[in-house]
Amino acid sequence: MSSRRPYVESPVIMATVRLVAPFVLTYGIFVTLHGASSPGGGFQGGVIAAAVIIMLSFAYGIDLTWEWIDKRVLVGLVGGGVALFGAIALGAVLFGGQFLEVGVYPIPEPDKYGIELVEVGIGMTVAGVVTSLFFTLARGAMPPVGEDGESGRDDEGTAATDGGTFSSEAPGSEETGGDGPVRDGPDAPEGGDRA
Amino acid sequence: MITPIEAGLLVFIVATAVMTALLRDVLAAIIVFGGYSLGMAILWIVLQAPDVGLTEAAVGAGVMTVLFLATIARTTRLTGLEATTVDVNLPAAALCVVFVLAVLTTVPALPAVGAGPGENPAFGEISEYYVEEAYDDTHVENVVTAVLVAYRGFDTFGEATVVFAAGVGVLAVLRRGVFE
Repeated sequence: MSSRRPYVESPVIMATVRLVAPFVLTYGIFVTLHGASSPGGGFQGGVIAAAVIIMLSFAYGIDLTWEWIDKRVLVGLVGGGVALFGAIALGAVLFGGQFLEVGVYPIPEPDKYGIELVEVGIGMTVAGVVTSLFFTLARGAMPPVGEDGESGRDDEGTAATDGGTFSSEAPGSEETGGDGPVRDGPDAPEGGDRA
Repeated sequence: MITPIEAGLLVFIVATAVMTALLRDVLAAIIVFGGYSLGMAILWIVLQAPDVGLTEAAVGAGVMTVLFLATIARTTRLTGLEATTVDVNLPAAALCVVFVLAVLTTVPALPAVGAGPGENPAFGEISEYYVEEAYDDTHVENVVTAVLVAYRGFDTFGEATVVFAAGVGVLAVLRRGVFE
């Protein structure tokens, strides 16, 4: 690990991610919910929603974002999505239809909203699985710089100040507190030689 | 007929695909592969398949690139290989070229993009049926979604289960619990 080039938290990336993340999340939810009327659906929307978490990891550090995530929500998304799909499919039998015959639900436009609910279930599972896969692979790959004993870079002071300013609602804000929010990140490989 | 945009995209896609195979530097190969996926996504949209394009852009260009980057971040990457290519096995490369040429001879037999049901033996009436009947059957404007969830809901249920099982399987194989 000591060969890894440390990633210094970049105010530019943090500010960009903070600005873009809500819109990307909204777009992911839109693509999921609007899959019946426009291109998209649960598979695409789930991936886009998971991309928000990956973006946050880029900006705030993979391990800190992983600590910030409530794992029960993640497990609930992965299992709950399939369970929701299955429940909608089976529920149709209760209303006298066949398995997956969503048109029999006693709601307005049952076909359309049944399909939308199925898409939501798909999106939940996909978002949860993509997020889990990312963290399973990336967790621990880029430890905070303190573990490498490589602190005291010149830009650390600046980064710490900016981190403090930004971090009021930032993920992992508790952790960013004192000792310089300097982390490894996905930018590290681009940094060049780490032989 | 093929438009200049499509031709340019196809050249870009083939070039990036070949470069992905040839580049020795893993990071460079991953970046070029991301470019390849982006080219594919744009091509799908040019060919009026926005659902597939959206998937390709989100999964191929986005998440796959990130997962590859995470993988090389956890392994080692040889440096100092910038812009060098792997040693090409010439007989194997010649065989690939012959295979590609053989496949290319079958292309004129394919129906044109956007051909009507009469000229399109591969799909014929069934695609017309979906386009015409999907809204009345399901009250869903996007035919792709109608086919995905309504006509082939059982397949899609299987797909969602496969995604679930794949996630659980990867976690089990890598032996990293979520609650560590």
